[in-house]
Amino acid sequence: MELVNIFVKSIFVENMIFAYFLGMCSYLAVSKKVKTALGLGTAVIFVLGFTVPINYILENYLLKEGALKWLSPEFASVDLSFLSFLMFIAVVAAFVQLVEMAVEKFSPSLYASLGIFLPLIAVNCSILGGALFMQQRDYPSLAHATVFGLGSGVGWMLAIVFIAAIREKIRYSHIPAPLRGLGIAFILTGLMGIAFMSFMGIKL
Amino acid sequence: MSIENTTATLAKKEKEALFSAKRRKLITDPLNDNNPVTVQVLGICSALAITVQVKPSLFMFGGVLFVVTMGNVIVSLIRNLIPSRVRIIAQLVIVASLVIIVDLLLKAYAYDMSKQLSVFVGLIITNCIVMGRLEAFAMGNKWWPSLLDGVGNALGYGLILVLVASVREIFGSGTWLGFQVIPQPVYDLGYVNNGLMILPPMALIVVGLIIWIQRAKNTKLIEAN
Amino acid sequence: MNRESNAFIIFFSTVMVVVVGISLALIAQVTKPNFIKNQRLEKMQNILSSVNIQVSPSEAETAYKKYITGSVVYKMDGTLVEGVDAFEQVDLAKELKKTEDQQYFPLYECVKEDGKYFIIPMRGKGLWDAIWGYVAIKDDAVTIAGAVFDHKGETPGLGAEIAKAPFQEQFPNKKIVDASGTFTGIEVAKAGKHPAGYDHGVDGISGGTITSNGVNDMLMKYLKSFRNYIEKNNVLQPVTQEPKVEELSDDILSSDSTTVIAE
Repeated sequence: MELVNIFVKSIFVENMIFAYFLGMCSYLAVSKKVKTALGLGTAVIFVLGFTVPINYILENYLLKEGALKWLSPEFASVDLSFLSFLMFIAVVAAFVQLVEMAVEKFSPSLYASLGIFLPLIAVNCSILGGALFMQQRDYPSLAHATVFGLGSGVGWMLAIVFIAAIREKIRYSHIPAPLRGLGIAFILTGLMGIAFMSFMGIKL
Repeated sequence: MSIENTTATLAKKEKEALFSAKRRKLITDPLNDNNPVTVQVLGICSALAITVQVKPSLFMFGGVLFVVTMGNVIVSLIRNLIPSRVRIIAQLVIVASLVIIVDLLLKAYAYDMSKQLSVFVGLIITNCIVMGRLEAFAMGNKWWPSLLDGVGNALGYGLILVLVASVREIFGSGTWLGFQVIPQPVYDLGYVNNGLMILPPMALIVVGLIIWIQRAKNTKLIEAN
Repeated sequence: MNRESNAFIIFFSTVMVVVVGISLALIAQVTKPNFIKNQRLEKMQNILSSVNIQVSPSEAETAYKKYITGSVVYKMDGTLVEGVDAFEQVDLAKELKKTEDQQYFPLYECVKEDGKYFIIPMRGKGLWDAIWGYVAIKDDAVTIAGAVFDHKGETPGLGAEIAKAPFQEQFPNKKIVDASGTFTGIEVAKAGKHPAGYDHGVDGISGGTITSNGVNDMLMKYLKSFRNYIEKNNVLQPVTQEPKVEELSDDILSSDSTTVIAE
């Protein structure tokens, strides 16, 4: 039940795009076609679904105050949390690199559709954001963290697919010239965000 | 670096004043024509969520200013040492370390702010402006132009941030930087603060409007359909 | 040296890691005492705010020493726990992860110009995330003097209203025990359920039912354990435990920083 709650919440209520604006750069740059948006969205779900739990393990068995207790009781007071940013971003970059290499070697067809987005993802704020929110919210178990990572990814994909669909349509609309492209994309995202806010009333 | 090269750059240095027109452009360009947020679409990720009030956005601007300037200077100073195969990782490490420093300083000396900014301090790491400037400018330029470039881009970013925050704070809470700007008599006449402004989506709409105004004035930025 | 050779890359990476590691560890060490101090001051501010003492962070330490005269830790059934300091060693967020009979409940005693108060810190779950608060009780251990609540991420305009004055202002002068001496707690219920002037309940937030229920459960649990403590230990007299703040601040002083606490 709690897991469902976290999942729904991270997709709709605390949507990475609409509530926190994370991953906006690639969101705006790669949202001109639905197909590419779908590819990037899938890649984000995949990477978030793996890096959040990996970082969760790191956080709880290496970085947090007292996290090193399993090595030896002497380390109980060691607090490495100041290194967490560095560790998280290193994990994300390394994971993305590894996946890219693996996908390229074992599944060229998947690489053609998904691989080109992977390098974009290493600097996608929503990935690091996922890790940082996980740290801040201090989830009680690995399962919670994984569900949170997947949910955030799904939320992000929904957002980018929606905006891409809208942008495909409005190309035929008469938009004031200065607002064309970027400007209208911002305003649309804002309006979609307001619509998503109605999910806040969800009761589980 | 060959001797020829050094003398050439030395000669150039003599010719070029510390704030020559070209260098001034490094600072002024990002404010409008090449604004990192509204034109290059970089670095909005970590920023908009904290634009409900002006004060946190000023702190955020300070953090980005520090990180992008220092990062530019450091990378530019050691750019001839960084092996190209690991340069992205090296840049990432430098940026992440600078951000950690900002985070630690905030926690120690501006605790309230650090709580308000929460994870968004950490997200400066993936602020595309920072990495973008390191890769595009600092890797190929000397430290002084790199410093100016960093300051310029941070200013361009801060400008938009503070603008958005000002609009949201004035209309959303009737204050600016915590000071009451909408006088009490206006409230007595039945004016109420616009609660919508405080909600996250309004940040996006305000940026959209800023882009509209900017492009209406600066028509060369209009996108082709 | 060829800077694209593997040897140089390894050398470069090693130097980079060492330099970055050392400098960050250094800065973390230097800033840590200040960070810990900030956290302590914030906790003190929160405790004091429940008895309506609003202080700035810089005054929190002095005000805390002046007003908070003692503290105890007990369990759900009211048994006293010896040797655990309420302020320094009990973190409610961590306690909540234990089973209820293992949890520690802290209690502070405050002496103000107008009398003596018990301050009960509490923490629970709202709709989305943690909610917490401090309830101050007069020295009869029955009447509420004041309550403050806060939350991590309740819905603005609905559940988040628990952090606002209209909700909190309902609490003063409510009673957690009825005339016959039975525990009633404070029931947070739908507006209109309680008759006007009802002593043992407040109106919940309309539209914020789950958050209101969370506040209700939290109040019942912590108020009940408070009453258990009072009854079990016959504490109609003041808690007589010396505050431990002073000796602990000495510990921090002696560690490495001289700026932590101005005596």
